[in-house]
This record gives sequence, C-alpha cells and structure tokens, in this order.
Amino acid sequence: MTAIIELDRVSFRYPGASRDTLRNVCLTIEEGDFVAVIGGNGSGKTTLCKTFNGLVPHYWVGEFAGEATVAGLDTYDSSVAELSSTVGYVYQDFQNQLVRPRVRDEVEFGPMNFGMPDFAERGRQAMEMLGIDHLAERFVWQLSGGQAHLTALASVLAMRPRVIVVDEPVAEVDPAGAHALYERLTQLNREHGITVVVIEHHAEFISQYAKSVVLMDDGAPVWHLPAAEAAARAAELEAHGIPAPQIIDACAALDLPGAPRTIAEAAAIVRGAGVTPRGASSVEDAAGESPACPARPVVTASSLTHGYRTVAGDLMTVLHGIDLTVDAGDRIALVGGNGAGKSTLMRLLGGLQVPREGTIVLDGVDTRSASSARLADHAAYLFQRPEQMFLKDSIRSDVRLHPAGRGREDADALVDRVLDRVRLTPFADRDGRTLSGGQQRRATLAIGLAMGPALLLADEPTASLDVASRDSVIAMLDELSDTIAAAVVATHDMHLVAEWATRVVVLEQGRILADLAPRALFGDDALLTRARLVPPQIVSLGRELGMDPVPLSVGQWRDAFTAAGAEVHA
Amino acid sequence: MSRKTRDVLSVEWVKLELIRTAYATRGGLFAKMDARMVIGWYLMLAVAPWLTHSFATIIALFVITAVSAALARVGPLVLGLFLVGFVTDFLYAFLAAWMFGGDANTALALVEINLKLATVSLASIAAFVSLDPEKLSTGLLALGAPELLAFGVSYGYRMMPILFEEFGVVFTGLRLRSAPGARGFLGLRALWRWGTYAVQAFYPIFLNTAKSVRTTVESLETRGFTARQGRELRIARLSIGALDVTVVAVTLAAVIAAFAIGPWVMTG
Amino acid sequence: MSQTTATDERAGRIRGTVAGLPRDLSASQKLMVFVLSMALSGVANLVLEIIPDVTIGPVDVSVSYFVFVPLALVALLNPFWAALGAPIGEVIFVDLLMGDFSGLAEVEGIIQMFLALYIAGSLVRNPRNRLQIAIAAVTVVVIDKALSALVDLSKVWIGVEDAEFVEGLPESIILLEGIGYAVDILMSGILFGVIPAIWLIPALHGRIEPLLGMRPRVPGEPIQGSAPRNALFVAVALALSIASFLFAFLEAWDIELGVFEPEWLDTYGPGFIWVGIGAAAIAFLVGIALARAARGKSDAEN
Repeated sequence: MTAIIELDRVSFRYPGASRDTLRNVCLTIEEGDFVAVIGGNGSGKTTLCKTFNGLVPHYWVGEFAGEATVAGLDTYDSSVAELSSTVGYVYQDFQNQLVRPRVRDEVEFGPMNFGMPDFAERGRQAMEMLGIDHLAERFVWQLSGGQAHLTALASVLAMRPRVIVVDEPVAEVDPAGAHALYERLTQLNREHGITVVVIEHHAEFISQYAKSVVLMDDGAPVWHLPAAEAAARAAELEAHGIPAPQIIDACAALDLPGAPRTIAEAAAIVRGAGVTPRGASSVEDAAGESPACPARPVVTASSLTHGYRTVAGDLMTVLHGIDLTVDAGDRIALVGGNGAGKSTLMRLLGGLQVPREGTIVLDGVDTRSASSARLADHAAYLFQRPEQMFLKDSIRSDVRLHPAGRGREDADALVDRVLDRVRLTPFADRDGRTLSGGQQRRATLAIGLAMGPALLLADEPTASLDVASRDSVIAMLDELSDTIAAAVVATHDMHLVAEWATRVVVLEQGRILADLAPRALFGDDALLTRARLVPPQIVSLGRELGMDPVPLSVGQWRDAFTAAGAEVHA
Repeated sequence: MSRKTRDVLSVEWVKLELIRTAYATRGGLFAKMDARMVIGWYLMLAVAPWLTHSFATIIALFVITAVSAALARVGPLVLGLFLVGFVTDFLYAFLAAWMFGGDANTALALVEINLKLATVSLASIAAFVSLDPEKLSTGLLALGAPELLAFGVSYGYRMMPILFEEFGVVFTGLRLRSAPGARGFLGLRALWRWGTYAVQAFYPIFLNTAKSVRTTVESLETRGFTARQGRELRIARLSIGALDVTVVAVTLAAVIAAFAIGPWVMTG
Repeated sequence: MSQTTATDERAGRIRGTVAGLPRDLSASQKLMVFVLSMALSGVANLVLEIIPDVTIGPVDVSVSYFVFVPLALVALLNPFWAALGAPIGEVIFVDLLMGDFSGLAEVEGIIQMFLALYIAGSLVRNPRNRLQIAIAAVTVVVIDKALSALVDLSKVWIGVEDAEFVEGLPESIILLEGIGYAVDILMSGILFGVIPAIWLIPALHGRIEPLLGMRPRVPGEPIQGSAPRNALFVAVALALSIASFLFAFLEAWDIELGVFEPEWLDTYGPGFIWVGIGAAAIAFLVGIALARAARGKSDAEN
C-alpha cells in the first residue's frame, strides 16, 4: 500500500485564536485504509480532516506551518478545487451541504461545476453505488435524515474521489441509518478501493468497521494503530472520552480477557470461561417499583387525532385515536421510526399545539382553554436542536428568562441552583452555542428545570452526543426525577431506554403499538423487529446467554454475576 | 378562548406556501416552460402597459395577466398579499386625490398608474412564482447574469422555508419563555411585546444561520462552485419547445389585440 | 483531557504569512458574507412582508425594513459584500418569491440600499461604540429614503413641468413624501434601527465572526473593503445615484406620457422609452464593472 495522505509537522492556528489548533501533526494514511479519527471535543479532529482537502489553510486562512501532501499534491500550493477531486468531505450537519432543490441536481452539482461533460453519468453512477437512484427526482426537503445523508455522500462520490471524509456519521441519523451508512462506506472501501476517514465517537462502530484508528489529543495524534490493537487500549480510550463497547465492558466486568467485536464472540468468551449468572433473580426491575400511593395523572390524552397539511395540500393524519395517561413518577420513553408521530405527540402533550380531535388535560388544565405561554408553566418542551433554545447571549440569561419573566422572587437563587445542578456554573456566562454537545444538552435541561414544570418533554436529548456526554445526560435525567413529576422523552437511543425509562410507549404510524416496561420490550423479538429497534449490546448478550431477567445495563450485568448483586444494585 | 388547529394563516401554512411557491409544486403553465422564454414573456408584459394611455388597453392587459396568473396556479398567500397591496394602493390614490382637492381626472390618472403597476406585478407573480428555481437560475445564467446571482436565486429558494421555520421556532421559544402580559389598549401592549420578540429573535437567528452558511459555503468551495467551469454545461440543458413558442405567440397576439382595441373603444 | 508533552513550538516550515493575517478576505469568505447577508435580510423582509402594513390616512406608518439586520452585518463583517447581499436577498427571497417584483425598478432599490448600507457600514469604526452604531443606523435610512424621495419628487417635477393643470398633486406629493420621510426615519431608522442595533451589534461582536472563521474586527482598525474616502468613490457613488434615478424615470415618463400629456407619445414615439432602458442597462453595467474591479483588485492583492 502507498500513502495517500502525508502530514509532516503540520501546525495550524485559526484566525484570531490564541494558540494552535493543530500542533506539529505527523500522520500517514495509506491508500485503501478505513480510518477512524477519535478524540475528545476540541482535540482538533475536524481541523485535521479539513487539512486533507485544503479547506485548511485555503478556506480557513490562518497560520499554517509544515507540509501536507495529498495524492502527491502539496495542499498549500494547490487549491481546494484541485484537491476536491481527490478528497470528498461529508459534513456533520450534512443538511446544510445540500444546496440544490432536487437530489439529481445535487449529485451532479460538483462534476458540473468542474465542467465535466460526463456529469450526468457520474451522478447516475454515484446514486447507484449508494442505492439511492430511485430518489433522483425527489426534492431534498422530502428526504428522511438517512436519505439526505446518503445524498450528501453521493454528491461527493460523483467527483470520484480517492478519499472520503465523513464527519460524525452517527450524529444526526438514527442507529439503523448509521449502520446502513457504514455498510455503504465499507462497500466503497472494499469494492472501489476508496480510502475512508471517519470522525467517530462510538466504540461499537469503530470496532466493527474501522481498519485503523487515530487518537487525537490536544491538536496532535497520540497514536495511529490497527483497529484491534486500538480496541485493546480500553483504558486509554476511556480517558479520552471513548468508553469501550458494552460487550468489552461486560467481559472486563467478569475479569475475562479479550476484545470481542460481536455479540456472538462475547457470548463465546463468557461460555468458554464457564461463568454463569448467579444473583439473576435479585435484579430489581425499575418498572416494578410500584408507587406507594395511587399515582396522580400529570397529563391525560384521550382519543387524540391530529394531522398536518402536506405540501400537496391534503391532510396527513399523524396520530390516530391515541389514549395515553402519564402519571406522576413516570419516566416514559417514546420510541418508533421516523414519522411515527413522536414529536407531534410531544408537542400536543406540552400544549404547543392543540389536537384536531380529542382532548388533552395537562396538570388539570384542558390545553384548548389556555394559551401555550400559560401552559409553559406546566410543561417544558426541550427542542432537539439545543441552539434553538439559546435565545440569549449567556446560559444564565437563558435559564433566567422564564422564572424572571413570571416574576418569581427567588429567580436568581433558582438559576444558581439549577446551573449548579447541571454542573454548568463555570460556563454560566457563555453563549450556549460555544459549549460542547453534552454541555449544550445539559444547558437545555437547566432551561427546562427553571421553568418548574410538572411535565418535562425532551426530543432526542442524547442525539449527536459522544458516549461520555450521553451517559452524563442520562445520569442527569435520572437525578432530576425528584423535581419534576413526570418526564416523556422521544428517542432512538436504546441505551437511554434501557438505563432510564420505566415505561416505553412504542408508536407506529400514529398508533400506540405497545406500552410496556423496557425489559418486556427487549424480550419481545416480534415487537423489536416490527418497530425496527436494536437493543443495546448488553441486552442482546444477556439474551444470547439466556439470562432472565436480562440485564439492562453493565451494572446490572455485573450484579447478576456477583453474589452480592442485590446490595450493589442502586 | 378556545384554541384550535388552523390550516391557514399560521406559521406552518406560510412555510408550506413558501415551499409550494418556491418549488412550483402546483404545476401550472410556466413551470413547464423554458426559463428564458418565461423571462422574455415577462419583459413583454412588463413593458407593454407603459406604452399606452388607453384605459381600455390597460384593462385588457390586466385581464391578460390575470388569466396568466390563473393558468400559473398562483397560491393563496402570494395572491392574498398581492390583493391587499393592490386594494390599499387604490384607496390611497383616491384618498390622496380627495384630500388635496383633486378632481376626477386626478383620481383617474392615479387609478391608471395603479392598474399598470398591478399588471406588471401580476405578470411577475405569474412568471417567477411558478418557475422552478433551478430553471430560473439556469435561465438567468443563459441571459448572462453573474453566477453569484444565479446561485443566490437557487439557494434563496431552498433556504427560505427552512429559515422561516427556524424563525418560527425561535419566536415561539421567546413567546413561551418570556414574561406574559396583558393585551393592553387595542392590543397595543401585545403588539409591542411581539415586536420586541421579533427583534430579539434575530440574535439566535444570526448565529445559527452563520453556522449553517459556513457549512454551505465550505461545501460549495469543495464542489467547485468557485471554479466556475460549469456555465456552458448548465445552459446546454435548456431547450425551447413548442409550448414556449405557443405561449409567447399567443400572448403577443393578445397584447397586440389589446393595443388594437384601445383606439377602437375611444372612438366607438 | 490529558496534556501531551508537545509544546506550541512549530517544527514544520512556516508557509505564507505569519506575523500578520492577510488583510483581505478570501474569495470564499466574501461569498460567505454575501450569502449570509442575503439569507438574513431575506428572512427579515419576509417577516415584515407577512406583518400587515398599518396605514393612518394616506401616510404609511409601517416599517419599511429591519435596518438593524443588514446594519449588523456591514458593521461587523466586510461592508462591501454585506451591503451587496442585503438588497439582493430582499429581491430574491421576497420580491421574486412573493410576486412583489417590479422589474427594472428593483435595480433602483438595490443601488440605493447598497450605497446606504455601504456608507453606513464604513462609518462604524468600533462595533462596540453605540453612538457610531446609532449614527450609522440613521444614516442608512436617511440616504436610502432621501434618494428615493428625490426620485419621487423628480417624477412629479418632470410630470408637472409642462402641464400644471393637475390641482393639488405637487403639494400633496411633497407633503406626503415629507411626512413619509419623517415616519420612515422614526419607525425604520430609530424604532427598528437604532434601538435594536445598539443592542444587537455589540452582542454579536466577537461571537459571529469565529463561526465564520474570521477574526473579529478590532475597534478602530480600518476594515478592508470599507468605503474609500476619495474623490473617485464619491464620483462613482454620485453616478450610481443618478443612474438609480434613471430607473425611476421609466415610471416618471409614464406619468407624463401616459396620463398628463398624451401627445407626447405621438411626438416622440414609444421608442423613447428605450432611452430609459438604455440608461438602466448602462447603470447596471457600471455596477457589475465596479464589482468586477473590486474583485480583481482583491485577487491581485492575494
């Protein structure tokens, strides 16, 4: 193999920055490799990848030192346009990468701009390679997240690049979509010899798909190792915010050596070691904790039907005759595929919209009888994109907005308390947009908490977070249960479902398919398949080994194997 | 007070209307035509009213554009905004003439001007509103417009509904989280509050838009937008067909007829 | 996060400039400023378009535009490209999309707004100085509205010169223009200009530039691309202003030939209209040439 990307002592400083973002980076990437670039926030991963196609230093005009050579071209002496035919880049917020109205125009855009007469053929081929040729005439706003991501990929593929960089492929699509994308990337890598570079946080994807791993820290690579060797350095990865996949943790919890890549491998290791779960029956099901007193309903929806007008003008019914009661103490995870009606149901429950038919009684108030601003005192709705909730120039003023506006005497004390609670006091005076992904989510939680709601509604609170941040958000949601009566979370994240929820409501095409405890959900294969859900690795491993009840977290798994399990369980 | 879901005159409706307008999903006559011919058609009707002073001709021209707008299937939002403007302008004209002691002549003169303006405006609604932005942008390129402008058209049409929705979300957030208050005399307090929300909404909108524009422009850069070599390829896609020729010919005949009836009405 | 032993000392060969940043923006940064200005001004105008206009008697007291939106961009970023993007964004996003397109007269509006914004943006030397911002906000409205008021008045002068039989029309137009001018300065210039701008611009300063990969403007530093203070610029600005009148004269002639003096058309024929269109074309070409020249100059500097 020959090197396609060579970086020799590359340093880069953004305009106006006080120190270098890349510091003397030396890195070689072989042609045909499948590289995962990992590292904490601010470690320079994205900047590193932008040197590959010359965006650094041609677009980001900062101070640049060292030599970066891509396919024999010195990036400093060539242009972004020249390099673009070698390196394709798919952004994390790929929706903004789509600039043309239709998929076909979008895919042909690059070749057309470079004046390639065969642009139509290139476009067609790229769409075929990704299996999206049937979408060619669609408008980009009609696409689902996964389809839009593939379109963005096809549009760089049409340039027939030798290297493709994908920034955080899992960030904005659901797990099923992310796996599909990785399968496509693997296919491009294997069948077409395209070098793939991904920026990735999720250990399970890295161990399953990558051939080699680059660990970045503080603007320089710590090491570049084959995937298997990298996976073995679990402790080091953990230190850089990349916890090992659950199956590796599971083996480590039992002091079993080995780094399994699949559930089957992990099960074989456990069986081979001859350990069997002991205290299984003592695992307490969180959902089984029946409340001491009869539960008070926080929100009741009866025979709810709602729909939207489509672009064509017809009424598309999104929810059909939903009956749902959320009781005090409930932690509900709302799951289901895209378009199942999760967000609509949440907006109705929070009183942002009123249903076309049926009624909703929120905290004793019929949502039709009060303005959405009044209902905001009873329910807090957290948007999926945190930046839509950052309305002011600092986190503190954002959190303060609602309590101060409602004339609460203790607004300032409340704000301090809430910020402290989500551990954002040191960042209180910064604009929310400048925080890391996990901090942004915690900031939105703080905004919601300060509203003092009975019901907390959160749309995908763990989407696009690295594992460590995701865990901290789940832990935070867990801790907050005492201040809010009930919480409903719409999510694709099965870890959140397993570790946090007491009740799972499965929606399918606007109807409630099931309303059950997480453990019951993960035990029902037919339901999982129908709702297109993938349980967390630890659940699958537990089922593979025939454990009953299945563990929902690594903690429960560990407890199931230790005699003292019942006491350790928190 | 009882809230209900409204299908018109809501933020969601405006957004849908923008999408429908921008992408010509209603179909319509001009959506199928070559952009250059549509622009030519527009120029014809935009210039024609200024070449006459015959009231009959002007009314005839207005009728031609009104029929065209109907054939172009212009949506209710755009049409509604147009009608509001049209009616206000007429009232304004009468009022101005009356206030300063003008006679019927003055009023008639102002009506005529307004009718001419309305004709031009309606022609532009018919032509541009139903045109696919990609076609319009290519047509502009073919007519020698700077690439930046052609791109701006295509990008603007794509982003407008998204940006408007973003504005709606931010505005709702402000409304829900800010201090509630009384409506005040004639709802003036509420109006003032909404005005301040509209202004405050721009702080997050500026920053969020800046972030997404950065990705867009970076992506444009990597995909050769600034290489500027694709002009001919794009223009080569345009073709003038029988429909284009027919529409322009029929309109031309109608315009000539309108000019012909002018003197005839006056003398007859 | 663990710290590695590496220091900030650069081992690699330093490329290009180190001591200072290149003074001018790269082509793509200009594109970014232009696109951002287009998008934001578009949204602002769309929001305004949807709010119904309030008319008290014959005087329109509605807000003509959210001056603070384009003003923030010309004050914080490159004034030339931001000023160019704003009126074009309005035309594309709102006028074309909503059918409010008035053809060649749009060019008149673009030139007026561009000049007004460009000059106002260049007045702001320190984006945190509220006085400068306030002056700039009023300047935008004063220049833009003065140009368009002059155009409107000229229309009447031309129309009335030969035939003064339309009673009350000149007075009414002067009075209405005067009241309109005052209302515009109050509503668009102060209420939706100065007041939001003195809050928004300092709030965005230092926050929006890093998002675009630019260094925030240092107070007092002359920003590249600001209006040059020389005779040539004044001459070009004047020429553009006059050109913008010519667009408007298309309508002015109409008042004359279409309404007040029918014989005029018979004497000169409709062909005379093409003089106006020709003038419009010339002004348009001047505009493009100016943009090209600016681009060529910056490319040469790069």
